[in-house]
Amino acid sequence: MQTASAGLAAILRLVLEIDAIGKSFPAVRALDGVSLRVAAGEVHGVIGENGAGKSTLMKILAGIERPDEGRLVLDGRPYAPRSAREATDAGVAMIHQELNLAPALSVAENIVLGREPRRWGFVRRGPMRAEARRRLAEVGAEVDADAIVGDLPVAGQQLVEIAKALSQESKVLILDEPTAVLSERETRKLFDLVRRLKEAGTAILYISHLLPEVRGLCDRISVLRDGRLVAETTPAESDTDRLASLMVGRELADVYPPRGSRPNAAPRLRVESISVPGHVEGASFEIAPGEILGLAGLVGSGRTELAEAVAGLRPSRGGGILLDGAAVRFRSPRQALDRGVAYVSEDRKGRGVFTELACIENLTLPNLAAYGRVVPDRRRERSATAEWIRTLDIRCPAPAAPMRTLSGGNQQKFAVASRLDVKPTVLLLDEPTRGVDVGAKRELYHLISTLAADGLACLVISSELPELIGLCHRIAVMRQGRLVGEVDPAAESPDETERSIMRLAAGVSEHAA
Amino acid sequence: MSDAAAGSVAGSVVTRSPLARSLDLLQQYGVLVAFVGLFAFNAIWQGDAFLKPENLRNLLNQNAAVGIVAVGMTLVIVAGGIDLSVGAVMALAAAVGMLAMNGLAGMVDAEGAGQFVPLLAGFASAIGVGLACGALNGGLVTLGRIPAFIATLAGLIGFRSITLALAEGGEIRADQAITAVQAIGRDGLAIPGVVNAYDKPVVFYWTILLFLVVVVLGQLTLSRTRLGRHLVAVGSNELAARYSGVPVARVKLWSYTIVGFCAALGGIASTVRMNSVSSSQLGLYAELDAIAAVVIGGTSMTGGRGRVWGTLLGVLILVMITNMLSLWQVEVYWQGFVKGVIIVLAVLIQRGRAS
Repeated sequence: MQTASAGLAAILRLVLEIDAIGKSFPAVRALDGVSLRVAAGEVHGVIGENGAGKSTLMKILAGIERPDEGRLVLDGRPYAPRSAREATDAGVAMIHQELNLAPALSVAENIVLGREPRRWGFVRRGPMRAEARRRLAEVGAEVDADAIVGDLPVAGQQLVEIAKALSQESKVLILDEPTAVLSERETRKLFDLVRRLKEAGTAILYISHLLPEVRGLCDRISVLRDGRLVAETTPAESDTDRLASLMVGRELADVYPPRGSRPNAAPRLRVESISVPGHVEGASFEIAPGEILGLAGLVGSGRTELAEAVAGLRPSRGGGILLDGAAVRFRSPRQALDRGVAYVSEDRKGRGVFTELACIENLTLPNLAAYGRVVPDRRRERSATAEWIRTLDIRCPAPAAPMRTLSGGNQQKFAVASRLDVKPTVLLLDEPTRGVDVGAKRELYHLISTLAADGLACLVISSELPELIGLCHRIAVMRQGRLVGEVDPAAESPDETERSIMRLAAGVSEHAA
Repeated sequence: MSDAAAGSVAGSVVTRSPLARSLDLLQQYGVLVAFVGLFAFNAIWQGDAFLKPENLRNLLNQNAAVGIVAVGMTLVIVAGGIDLSVGAVMALAAAVGMLAMNGLAGMVDAEGAGQFVPLLAGFASAIGVGLACGALNGGLVTLGRIPAFIATLAGLIGFRSITLALAEGGEIRADQAITAVQAIGRDGLAIPGVVNAYDKPVVFYWTILLFLVVVVLGQLTLSRTRLGRHLVAVGSNELAARYSGVPVARVKLWSYTIVGFCAALGGIASTVRMNSVSSSQLGLYAELDAIAAVVIGGTSMTGGRGRVWGTLLGVLILVMITNMLSLWQVEVYWQGFVKGVIIVLAVLIQRGRAS
């Protein structure tokens, strides 16, 4: 009786209140008035598509980003962390998707990092090791406390990260896609641990793409979409299909060009069972001239790596790549470009354009030899740039202006134009509309459609399913390095297609039922 | 109200206040302003003593070797690298060149005829050493993936050590039979109408002309050629360069080979001026003077932005400051301090442009 009422009190005790939080980035409204309440001893799932705002919300909780609006309350007191350190000190621990350990330090040193037991300024190694071993045992990790973190496999590092969070004895624990790198056995251990922490009264925020996992573990589930909280539900109320619909639930506006019929020419590009160690396992696909093939999958599923391997940016193994029937294997992006295979990176500022260089220099770089092997002809460079600015309707102050003065959409157009200047026959576009406003997105869709109509074989990688459905002839889905299926967007309604893709990408069919 | 607001928004983007624009210009052309200012100051304050053709010539001559190296250094830094070994490469190239020349001194007859072959062999072997050292640095940086700072620091120590060993710590003088080295060092181009107080023509030494030719070629390479564009691209964003199909490793290798070549030319310029190679002194701290000139000239140390003409002005500014300090009889110990202050000021003034 007594324990039951204590348990009830624990459930009712709110630990974390998130109240109307808003956050904007240039061109993107990442969070718009999101409110959540998490009680002690609750496991609260947070789901949503890539870009729905989950990561931003968690970064705000962990002190990495600061909100523009709204407020946070932790244990009844206002909570406004200005750094990760302040968040940790206040009792909020986060286990990042990207691991956040010091790879050169030992496991024990990492676990107590910043809170080392000390005497006279010196670290006491005995107590440090003891603490680390205790926490590792709690996690059920068979990891040597003296091992160097960088030498551990990723799953081991993940467990160390969890042990570290435990050692901070946090009130709120944020787990961001914790099982992505864990084996099934390790995942079960992690779930046991989460349940034990829950019993002990920790409030847990659990973020995952794997819907069956979320349903199995969480007491309540909040769904984010386009920066807004669209639903708060429970596993009893919502099955995985309903959760997927809630995540997607968007109308497809007429921003997409009419889809031409799928060309039935011989494939221009044919990829046969190639692998990229650690990322892609035996992937095969083909694209015909004039065809737009979509590639869907969660972040980290190997989409980018697959495209980069085709474009000569990564070494690949096994199988082969056929271009118009002839076997090729590019050892450098230069070779790929010379044979007409161009790749536009998802990382526009880091890999796509040179923000500090002039538009004209950005445009001609991939094809510079065509303007002169030793001394490029400036006049021809200028006229080519002017031509592309006209063709793609790029808005830029002047061809000599630095790229950083352009908006994201116009930078992206330059990134595409610079590759088109090579006159490719295969164009691989990785998240071509990321961070681009709606108007520019529409223009990019029409551009891609026109290019395909002119006979280019296009691959479009995207996390935004509506754009793949609106744009592509076929959509291939990747999960954990494998191409797990293909969806025909013309065969079903957009909503049906989107759910089919989500199921394939999240592995629902495997885990559920 | 809303019109006024819109106007001010557009105004802040399109047109800028005259003060802001002049600040911009100062950041861009500050090095030119500093050079003209220093030159004018010296011309007024020292008068003829400074403006005398011999004086200007001697100032240039003393710094031609470092200037040549600074041009190569500009290209390396634009590509995002650094070469600390240039001073040691100057010495090694000069020492090997001198040894090769002296080894062939037997070909010279009593009248001094037949010096051409030993001279050519000396210059060629010096340049060969410079290219080889540069390629080695480039190989360590690209294939070996050693940070440029470390790889070339090892070169600085290692190449100097080889030079010291070759000369047993001392000096290598040109063989007595080879008089042409000194002759070249004292020969040059007489500019018509430029005469000294005794109406004798003032000869602008070949080394000065070599320096100026290297400056022009360096600037053209950087701003006009495909290689130059690739250097800028690699220095601006190495990843984006790779994704654009730029052969990043080859471009870097070229940059180090070019600076090695420049170091050899600098070593030769120094040799013909002194008629000997001091294994411990030739090129000592040349890397620091060269980097200082590059920085003062407005080239970004993080790469992606640079100009050879700026480096030329940087060399000349350093020359004039050293000259002024010695005329003011400031102890030589303090010269380094003043140079340090100048370098920091140059970077502070030019930094505003990037942000």
